[in-house]
Amino acid sequence: MGKIKVFLILSLLILVFVVGCGSGSNNSIDELKIGVSAPLTGDLAATGASTKNAVLLAEEEINSSGGIKVNGKMMKVKFIIEDDENKPETTATVFQKLISQDRVLAIIGSQASKCSNAGAPIAESNKIPQITPWSTNPNVTKDRKYVFRACFIDPFQGKAVALFAYNKLGAKKAAVLYDIASDYNKGIAEVFRDEFSNLGGQIVAFETYNTKDTDFSAQLTKIKATNPDVLFLPNYYNEVPLQIQQARKLGIDAQIIGADAWDNPELLKLGGELLEGTYFSNHYAVDIAGDKSKAFIEKYKNKYGEVPDAAAALTYDAAYILFGAIERAQKADPQAIRDAIASTKDFEGVTGTISYNEGSGDPVKGAVIIKIHDGKFIYDSSVKP
Amino acid sequence: MEIIIQQLINAVQLGAVYALIALGYSMVYGIIRLINFAHGDIFMVGAFIGFLLAVKFKLPFVFILLLTMFLTALLGIAIERIAYHKLRNAHRMSLVITALGVGTFLENLVRLAVGPQTRQIPAQLSNNILHLTNGIVVTEDKLLIIGISIMLMIVLWLFVNKTLIGKAMRAVADNIDVVPLMGINVDMIVSVTFAIGSALAAAGGIFFGQSYSIEPYMGIDLGWKAFIAAVVGGIGSIEGAVVGSFILAGIEVFTVAYLSSNLKNGIAFALLIILLVIWPYGIMGKPSLKKV
Repeated sequence: MGKIKVFLILSLLILVFVVGCGSGSNNSIDELKIGVSAPLTGDLAATGASTKNAVLLAEEEINSSGGIKVNGKMMKVKFIIEDDENKPETTATVFQKLISQDRVLAIIGSQASKCSNAGAPIAESNKIPQITPWSTNPNVTKDRKYVFRACFIDPFQGKAVALFAYNKLGAKKAAVLYDIASDYNKGIAEVFRDEFSNLGGQIVAFETYNTKDTDFSAQLTKIKATNPDVLFLPNYYNEVPLQIQQARKLGIDAQIIGADAWDNPELLKLGGELLEGTYFSNHYAVDIAGDKSKAFIEKYKNKYGEVPDAAAALTYDAAYILFGAIERAQKADPQAIRDAIASTKDFEGVTGTISYNEGSGDPVKGAVIIKIHDGKFIYDSSVKP
Repeated sequence: MEIIIQQLINAVQLGAVYALIALGYSMVYGIIRLINFAHGDIFMVGAFIGFLLAVKFKLPFVFILLLTMFLTALLGIAIERIAYHKLRNAHRMSLVITALGVGTFLENLVRLAVGPQTRQIPAQLSNNILHLTNGIVVTEDKLLIIGISIMLMIVLWLFVNKTLIGKAMRAVADNIDVVPLMGINVDMIVSVTFAIGSALAAAGGIFFGQSYSIEPYMGIDLGWKAFIAAVVGGIGSIEGAVVGSFILAGIEVFTVAYLSSNLKNGIAFALLIILLVIWPYGIMGKPSLKKV
């Protein structure tokens, strides 16, 4: 009785395993498989949804125009989208699976820097090109030949925010509250601290918390006592509204500013009126879009019923950088595609013009400063690289 | 000085939420010697029930609080009946593993039902800022939350110490094998304990969702914190759970205030280990006296 049960369970497990593997090793080369690692669930699920929307839109467009010409033959593009839960350890598993089981030609993702950073060594050692749309931390591409990004990097962004705070807002004293357990938050907070001090400003408080903390009152009470002119919150959109709320409840009336991780409709849903009059740096502004951006925003809105956030726009750009590279490589070969990406020059994307200088996976791009006004993201100013 | 008082208010608010969760841990352990690791997730479910009542039905705050406490109490009773009842005489480890399973089940159920996004229970209480004296501010909702929490703890203490059912609970905690001989219905007492523990956790969930934010995995970290608070206070002891919670919150807040926010958890837990070395059974716990 007991033995039969054990035997049945074991056979079932083996069956599941065999069937599971069988479907994965289907190694057909009649389509161009590209992996996508995105936070479909977890704390950045809204960014995961934007990522998925953007790649599916790009896939639909390229395939309806016949696909990409490879080896003299038109081939369709197929995105394989996996959930990395916004966790570095899961991202590593996803990269491994996409490369060894799905045998993808390239990977788009992930979005948070801590995750892209966990996937990058795997892409690098397997010589599979990776383009991260939204990861701005410099370490992601550093000393790596196969890792690229579609966005600017934090040393530039942090400087842009510091300049804005010091020159345009006239702030002399700044306080920072950031998540020390996340690469992105920590990186940009430190750049801002150094740049703001270099300009002659004073960092009066530099406080940290850990991912998933929800009570910031102790740190904010400490910040309040230093009476800052600006409070910089370089954190993700799911946490920022709570931080602003607690700051205001404690009577902090400093001007609040942030960075590109603010850009998601969730921010406005959670924060509401509290966000009025705050500023953040971003990759593009919907309201000053050029022709290329307008077309994208229009198509995205028609298909999904909402305005694309920066993560969606950058993912779309990453997809087209890759399409262009495959077309120029004319081969379904990761090495050739990598070389073609590296030689990308003056690519006209939704978020600006992208060129890679040989030896670097970081494009040189400008940033914009956005103001939140009447519950909308309004363009305020541009920052040139 | 103002800053110390301001930080003290922060600590009391955080401690009140920890205490509402820690009480359930402590009571359940007192009665059936089970470390109910699903308790943090019951707290989370309570917060989401409150969220749904506030968003979908737009009930007034008092009704949200009472209805959520009632529904979550039913959930607590159901979990005990379905998952723990048959294992009551099994090895303790089987019960703990079952509790972990129930917790994981609840997290994923809620994630499937409402999605993984962070939300906040819309403000039901007034957010007016009161300026007490120079520099010290407190919002009205904060005061109310602290007040209701402390009131709930007093009611619980009176219930356990002054009523007949409370007496029966203490008897069951004392010796679960002998009390049936006295005509006490053990199953009923265990259900009452789960109901009270879950209802208090639900109240904590609502306060937490008003002041901070909620998501399906919030119960894991907070459950751990409350569990540790209960152990430091002396698991099984009601007073101990409350004392342990305020101590933990105080250490956390003052570490951030006067040492460094980087060290918050490190220092908080190092201090708690020291407390346990001094009082191995917790501050209020005694080796083998009555426990509820």
